[in-house]
Amino acid sequence: MILNNKICVYFFQVFLCAIGFSQETKLEVQKDSTQVLEEVLVTATRTKRQLASLPLPAQVITKARIQQSGTMRLGAILAEQTGLITVPDYGGGEGLQMQGLDAQYILILIDGVPLVGRSAGTLDLNRISVGNIKQIEIVKGASSSLYGSDALGGVINIITETPQYDWQGDLKYRAGSLNTHDLSITSSYRNAKMQVQGFGNRYSSSGYTLDPESELQTVEPYENYTAQFKLGYAFSDQTNALLTTRFYTQNQDYHATDTLSGASTIKEWNAQFKLNHRFNAAWESSFEWYATHYKTDAYLNTLSQTRYTDAFYDQYFIRPELRVQFKASATKSFISGMGFTRETLKRTDFSLNPRFNSAYAYLQYDATYFEKLNLIAGGRLDMHSVYKTQFSPKIALRYPVTDAIALKASVGRGFKAPAFRQLYFDFSNTTVGYTVLGYNAVHTALPEMQERGEIASILVPLSEFDADLKPESSLNTNLGVDFSFSKQLTFSLNAFRNTLTNLIDTRIIATKTNGQSVFSYVNINDSYTQGLEFNCTSRFFKNILLTGGYQLLYAKDKEAVSAFKAGKVYGRASSASSAFALKKSDYFGLYNRSRHTANFKVFYTLPQYKANMNIRLTYRSKYGLTDTNGNNYLDRYDRFVKGYSLVDFAFNKKLGSHLELGLGVDNLFDFKDAQNISNQPGRLLFGKLNYQL
Amino acid sequence: MMNIFKSLTAVSIVLALTSCSSDDDTTSLAAVESVSITNLYAPQTGGQGQPVAGAYTKFDFETGATTTSATNWDVAFRGTSIIVNGGSTTGTDDEPERTGDAAVYIASGTLSSVTEVDATAFVQDGAAGTAIPAGSGNGWYNYTGAPSHLIQPIPGTILVFRTSEGVFAKVEILSYYKDAPESPDAFSDATPYYTFSYVYQPNAGVSTF
Repeated sequence: MILNNKICVYFFQVFLCAIGFSQETKLEVQKDSTQVLEEVLVTATRTKRQLASLPLPAQVITKARIQQSGTMRLGAILAEQTGLITVPDYGGGEGLQMQGLDAQYILILIDGVPLVGRSAGTLDLNRISVGNIKQIEIVKGASSSLYGSDALGGVINIITETPQYDWQGDLKYRAGSLNTHDLSITSSYRNAKMQVQGFGNRYSSSGYTLDPESELQTVEPYENYTAQFKLGYAFSDQTNALLTTRFYTQNQDYHATDTLSGASTIKEWNAQFKLNHRFNAAWESSFEWYATHYKTDAYLNTLSQTRYTDAFYDQYFIRPELRVQFKASATKSFISGMGFTRETLKRTDFSLNPRFNSAYAYLQYDATYFEKLNLIAGGRLDMHSVYKTQFSPKIALRYPVTDAIALKASVGRGFKAPAFRQLYFDFSNTTVGYTVLGYNAVHTALPEMQERGEIASILVPLSEFDADLKPESSLNTNLGVDFSFSKQLTFSLNAFRNTLTNLIDTRIIATKTNGQSVFSYVNINDSYTQGLEFNCTSRFFKNILLTGGYQLLYAKDKEAVSAFKAGKVYGRASSASSAFALKKSDYFGLYNRSRHTANFKVFYTLPQYKANMNIRLTYRSKYGLTDTNGNNYLDRYDRFVKGYSLVDFAFNKKLGSHLELGLGVDNLFDFKDAQNISNQPGRLLFGKLNYQL
Repeated sequence: MMNIFKSLTAVSIVLALTSCSSDDDTTSLAAVESVSITNLYAPQTGGQGQPVAGAYTKFDFETGATTTSATNWDVAFRGTSIIVNGGSTTGTDDEPERTGDAAVYIASGTLSSVTEVDATAFVQDGAAGTAIPAGSGNGWYNYTGAPSHLIQPIPGTILVFRTSEGVFAKVEILSYYKDAPESPDAFSDATPYYTFSYVYQPNAGVSTF
């Protein structure tokens, strides 16, 4: 094996890491090395793997990139990556769409363990402080073979900083438009035996208003605090332990109308304890215990300060897991894990306080054949207290045809268990009068409503709710090629398809005497997303890094495709004009999907001035948010959200060896679409200061 | 307020009734009428979880106009609900008695592509509900929900009526908003103002348009 200097340095670091402190030591360094080889991730295989040698579509966003871009919000950082789109959620939150799959199908991990609190399906990315992120790992495509439920479309793993040797400390402060202040302090110490790190962050913003005529702000003022504490100890060269705890709290104003106002709070903690032991050169294992609690409270008072509504969401998640690694030979290794998950939820408008228990086991085999062909094969079994046992296999191959060209292929199954709300919701809207019942709540709640005389007619017989609601599942395929002209110029192309079955949607199951409907959940839709992703990186010019990316996407509902094909769908060119029959080609696809997304970034380093600057452009083509001509499908005669581009700019300069200053603009041309894009406040200026001990 | 544009365009698209070959010559048939109605106002009280009430706005295809007659009407509107003068009441407040034998069914197609009446498909109102089912996606409209909250007539939904007089009419509802704006806004455009087009076949016994 030939190692150049860079790789040597890298290898040395990893070696140190492995001795001092590592749960996963597997590493493959291949000779078709470029600078990209420095990027290593654990998410794709649960072992340390070079991004460049991985048979799966994945991306790594490094700390350096995050710091250079100066962005304060995690959502904005992710939205700059090829094929990732942030989707606004209620109250200013953002979820992430990947390979055309909704935010609810993307698993969000922090240091390898899941965050909870998806009250409406989406997990708000902006809960996660950017200040102590070491890197962000993105694995695209179904990953349930390692991670079980929710990893149907992919995984985002946010890796936080680990202490470097000796005392370290830094202070970061950023201030920007919308009265935004972001202050982080990190302090850490590490020696051969022990490591300790503390991190604190305060983030506040006065929010923003996109519609100046509205009495209500688009995003209300908020402030949040994050504290993270890590403590590690190496008992010997073979055994070490690590405890990580994180606390998060947010307070936000809450206005529902001009006469109803209150506040909402989020309180969250996570605790992760890991014990690693290496038995010998071939065997090692880790035991991991993880618990998290996510709680929100929101209230509204009337003008006379009497309580109008109270809502809460209170979720616990506990998971012990045991992992074992066995290195059978230099080219063959196994990793397996087993664990148990308990989840409980108390929530307003629930028929009961549900509890999920599930046990799981997974096994993955990673081998290299003929010195070149990398095979990863694995599967995971999830046995659950509420839904049927799920088996999620996956297989992936990578073959470097030459030093310049490598082919990749992977096939895997993903699934997403029905969420608590899809099973146990029992909610009646007090102002409009409709009712939403979880699938498992129908059997008791509907007869009760009938007794109270609220039901006019039952459209779906109760017997249809006898069988269990099935988990949503996907079959994911990726076919890719990596091509490097030289160390300076690399391309990658990946074709993907996700075939989705048993998607859960709502339907009307009964009509009420007040003229409104009773909704419940049902496995109804089959759909697919498919497309192409293209990325290129150039270091052709000295001190300039150019990257570009493009995604082509088709996301369609299969029932809709056949309805259009059969000529059963009619449309209107505008509201109130006569209808006409639509053709198959008139079907645009699923809502909130853009056919084209692209990005282009230039990072320019000025070593003589100890400075760097970058300009980043992202583009998203037109997409539809709702049907506007009454047929409940998105067709070419509907009104679309216009395509748009965002341009961001940032400049950073070092002063001396400790201080770095930066300034920048997000959304330079002040793009806004008040009606359709609630998570885009317009141009944001910011300045920042980093002081490193 | 209600404007009626009677456009007797299709003057004698009719009708080669050659099948009836009796000795006496058939009398010449009246022309099929294509009519557009705008802003038929059909308010209701209640709703939003409260009991719905208020007088229905009745319409008579024969005259092509609204009417307050207790008996001589074919179809009536109140909010999003549409009733026919046939069958029995569904039991809501202020609902008119059904005095005729009118009926209706929903055909799939455009106003021009629905050319024949399916006599077996007719339905009348009753205790189980209206012949044109109520609710989003069930009958003539889709409700978009948040954030636009629009009531949109489902394209491709043609209401085929048998009138109180026993002749036929086909109806396409075009808008629920006043002046049928091209891009209605549920927060600023007034409802319920029906705009619809219909084709009226005045000749008894003729079941084509």
